[in-house]
Amino acid sequence: MLSGRGFKEVYNLQGGIRAWNGLKAFGPKKLNMDLLRGDEEPAEITLFAYGMENALGSFYTTLSERTADKDLGHLFTKLEGIEERHKKMVFELYSDIEPSGMDLPEFESKVTSQVMEGGFDIEGFMKDNEPHMQTSPDALMVAMMIETQAMDLYLRYADRSSEARTKEVLFKIADEEKAHLTALGRLMSEKA
Amino acid sequence: MIQLKKLFEPVPSIDPEQAKEFIAKHREGTYTLLDVRQPEEYEKEHIPGAKLIPLPALDDSLTELDPQKPIIAY
Repeated sequence: MLSGRGFKEVYNLQGGIRAWNGLKAFGPKKLNMDLLRGDEEPAEITLFAYGMENALGSFYTTLSERTADKDLGHLFTKLEGIEERHKKMVFELYSDIEPSGMDLPEFESKVTSQVMEGGFDIEGFMKDNEPHMQTSPDALMVAMMIETQAMDLYLRYADRSSEARTKEVLFKIADEEKAHLTALGRLMSEKA
Repeated sequence: MIQLKKLFEPVPSIDPEQAKEFIAKHREGTYTLLDVRQPEEYEKEHIPGAKLIPLPALDDSLTELDPQKPIIAY
């Protein structure tokens, strides 16, 4: 249907999703789309993304403080450190968009949301998932799920946006999530 | 006749490992993952970033796809 209609390069995924052994996202097309209006400027997107990274970092910090397991505590601290690096990347993206814009303290002061990456509410997610994050492999599985949902959400936002520059920012952030997932995969292999 | 033939030309297949490699090597926004299943199937699980256009609606939704970008459909 596509190949005869001017689409230059079309591939069929052999075996479809049943054969797919990579990461999978879940949820309807509209899941968490209401967290953004859809007409945000690129700078607003960076503030939103920064807030989500920040909230996820807080989540890991809380987990590291609550666990008595030293190794698990170290893992949560490491995961929180990754979110800190992501925050730095997002702020750099903002600074590229708005060279005469806010400095970091002012930018951070605008962050109010308690919504984690992927659109999860910190408290609700903690209540539902902390019991399932009691070993390093299990904690990493949940971390990968969060980042998979995050990547999926950013790409759905990008698909919805009609503003080319906003799309570009969302694609860049999604690329970072992709790299993050690769890093988590490596961590998973080490802890297995 | 040539136009009809083109409409029914099969597209090449790639296996999941090739698709994963493709996704890893390409920046987001430079290709399209297209999910042609039903919404309830998509909701249960989908490849992250896949765009849902159920097959019966595909013909009427072609303008939503960029013909210049490679498409991996499932």
